[in-house]
Parts: sequence; C-alpha cells; structure tokens
Amino acid sequence: MEKEQQKKTIEALLFLSEEPVNTDKIATVLSVSPEEADLLVFELQKDLSAALRGLQVFEIAGGYQMGTLPELAPNLEKVFSEDISSNLTEAALEALAIIAYKQPVTRIEIESIRGVRSEHVLENLIKRKLIRVSGRKEGPGRPLLYSSTADFLKYFGLMNLEDLPPLEDELREEFTE
Amino acid sequence: MVQQADYTIKLPVFEGPFDLLFHLIKKEEVDIWSISIADITAQYLAHLQSMKELNLDIASEFLVMAATLLRLKSKLLLPRPNRGSIQEEDEELFEINTAEELFQRLEEYRFFKEAAQDLKQREEEQQKTFLRSTGGQKVMVFIRQESVYTIWEGANHLSNIMHRFARATLTDTYTPAFSIVEDFVVAEKAAYIHAFLVRSKRAIAMKELFATEGLWEVIVTFIALLEMTRQHKVALLQECLFGPILVILKQEPVQKEEISGERTTEKND
Repeated sequence: MEKEQQKKTIEALLFLSEEPVNTDKIATVLSVSPEEADLLVFELQKDLSAALRGLQVFEIAGGYQMGTLPELAPNLEKVFSEDISSNLTEAALEALAIIAYKQPVTRIEIESIRGVRSEHVLENLIKRKLIRVSGRKEGPGRPLLYSSTADFLKYFGLMNLEDLPPLEDELREEFTE
Repeated sequence: MVQQADYTIKLPVFEGPFDLLFHLIKKEEVDIWSISIADITAQYLAHLQSMKELNLDIASEFLVMAATLLRLKSKLLLPRPNRGSIQEEDEELFEINTAEELFQRLEEYRFFKEAAQDLKQREEEQQKTFLRSTGGQKVMVFIRQESVYTIWEGANHLSNIMHRFARATLTDTYTPAFSIVEDFVVAEKAAYIHAFLVRSKRAIAMKELFATEGLWEVIVTFIALLEMTRQHKVALLQECLFGPILVILKQEPVQKEEISGERTTEKND
C-alpha cells in the first residue's frame, strides 16, 4: 500500500473508533511492522497540524485516539456541553490519586491515608468506571481491593500509569521546597 | 458585569482532618517536621470552634483528630508511664501514637493531595478535547459492584437474569445511576411488537417477544410492552397463576405493514 493510502487508512480508522486503537492493531490492518505503524501515526499527526485541521491524534490509554483540539473547546461546548462529565470532587481526586499510586489497595488503606471515611467516594468512582474491584486481600475479612481502570487513563489523558509523576521525585521536591 | 462571587466569603472546604491540619501548617509556612504539636492543636481546636459558630457540621473524623492531637500533646507534657500498660488497640482511622507518626502521616497525605491536584489539572485539560461517541444505548441500571460478587454468586433463575444485568452494566462504557431508555428505541420496539401482533393474528405468548439474547433488547421490549399496555394498545392476559402470559392486540390495526427490523416511527395518539 502506498504511504499516503496508509496514512488515510489510519486517519479513517481513528475517526471511526470510539476507543483508543493500539499500535498492533494499526500494524495488522496495514500489514506493516509496529515501528512503521508508529511512524505513520507520527506523520499523520504532523500532517493534521500542518493542514490546520480541527482534529488531532494523541496517545492515550495504550493506544491512539482522535479528538478535537483543546483550543476549540469554548465553541464546541455550545453544542456538546452535555457530553462533558461533571468534574470530580476533591475527595474523589484524593481517593483516585491514592488508588492510582498504591493499587491494588483496600478501602481501609485509602481511609487511613485520607483520615476520612471514603465509602461513598469509592462507590461514585466505581459508578464512573474510574476504578474497579480487582480482587480481595488475603487476611481477616478479605476486604475488596481497588484498582484503576483503562477509563481512568482515558479520563486523565494518560498513556499508562507511568505517565503519573513518580512518587519519589514528588517527595524529593517537597523536601527541597 | 457585577459578579456575585465578589460578595460571598468562601470558606475552604476541608476533605478531612488531615486536610485541615495541612491547611494550618501551610498557613504557618513551616515544614511539617518542625511543627509544634501544642501550637497546631490549639489552632486546630480554634478552627473547629469557628466551624461550630458558623453552624457547619463537624464530622466525627475531625473530632477524633482533635482527640488524637490532645493525646499527643498530653503525652509530650506528661512523663511516660510504663510502656505497654496503656497500649490500647484501636482500630480507628487514626492510630497515631507519636508526633513522629503524625508527621509521617501528614507527609504522606501531602503527597496524595498534590497528586490529586495534578489529576485535577489533567482532568481540565482532557475535558477540552472532545472524542467521537455514538449516542444512546449506553445507559443502564447501576448495580453495586460489591453485590455482584457476594449476593448473586451462584444463584439461580431470577438471579441469573440479575447477573446478566450486572455483567452488562459492568462491561458497559458508561453507567449513570438511573435507568434511562432512549424514547426512540422504545417507540421502535413498540412498532415492531405491534407489527408482530398483527402478523400473529393479534395474540402471542409474551415469551416469544423475549426470545432475543441481547440484554438491552430485553429491557427495551419490556418497557415497550409496559408502555403499550398503559396506552391500551395491548392487553396482557394470564389465565392461571404462573401460567403463560398472553399479549393481545386491542386496537384495530391501522394498516398491514411489514416492519421486521426496519426503522419505523410510531405515532402515539
């Protein structure tokens, strides 16, 4: 397949897909190596921005996805405002941060860090699919363990969990502040 | 333009006792490790007092922390009794016995507080990007995830259906708390049932309508049936207890039409 054709195919693939598409899938569709697939996506990204289009391709949750440019948000919100999920509360963000870094983690562990009961917060996060019950901890009561989901990555625009600021650096920064 | 916000005094909402302590330490502009327990306890209590005066609900956690601080303070003031004799095992949220422990906990909290702020920023950024999504059909009933593992495990018949519900809701991409079924889907289904009844000489066993595998379709079919019954378009008849339920068409069919699967709009009334 010609290169231009390949890029068009990727563009169409990402346009149609509601979920992130990973490198391997693109490679399979185009019968190219994963490295070539990544390169083609990179070129597509450049093409889109060079052509001053309203769309962009970005890396998220282990794949590529197409979305609108952030700068267009004010206008798009006039039409699609109901698509925007309401922001998470401070409490929810705190609990999420703890889960993201310490997963799998029990409710008690989360509560002991926050110093507040967090049942309700966790329930809401499950409802929003940002966390899931990933198992049970061995030990008395076999409490449920919580982990973050792929939706968590998507929600915050993360490629993977390593995208979060590392724990040590953050703590080091604090001490030198 | 005058903004209302100019006239309101915004009090910080604390997400818990650590949050409040943290706020107090930040105000002092001191390192966590160099705070004085006595000072911080006094400030903490003063803050609780002002919360009380403003008629804010003070959650039990805040009071537990106040007690913890006072205990730490008294420990620092009084000579230590024999170790072990007063070691009470409490399973409370704060098992803090030394100032050192408190600082450690605060330090840990501080990290996650900052991580939460980082996530908040990302959230804001991410919400500026709109993604493609096909509307409708992703909304269903919310069932607590915990219940799925405990109550309905290995259950029979009815709970199997509940299980399928739960599974479908858990694998679904988006689940609000309430069940919302798109009107047009129900209307479509109603039209389909109507046509089905016309073809089947106006009476069918209800189970025939539920032959489908798709959970979503079962729900829509059920709601469509309820709606049609309410509008007196069909009657439901059960001759004996636990007997088969018959769906009977009440109105004269307006026109014979072949609908199977096609999109049709149903005109109500």
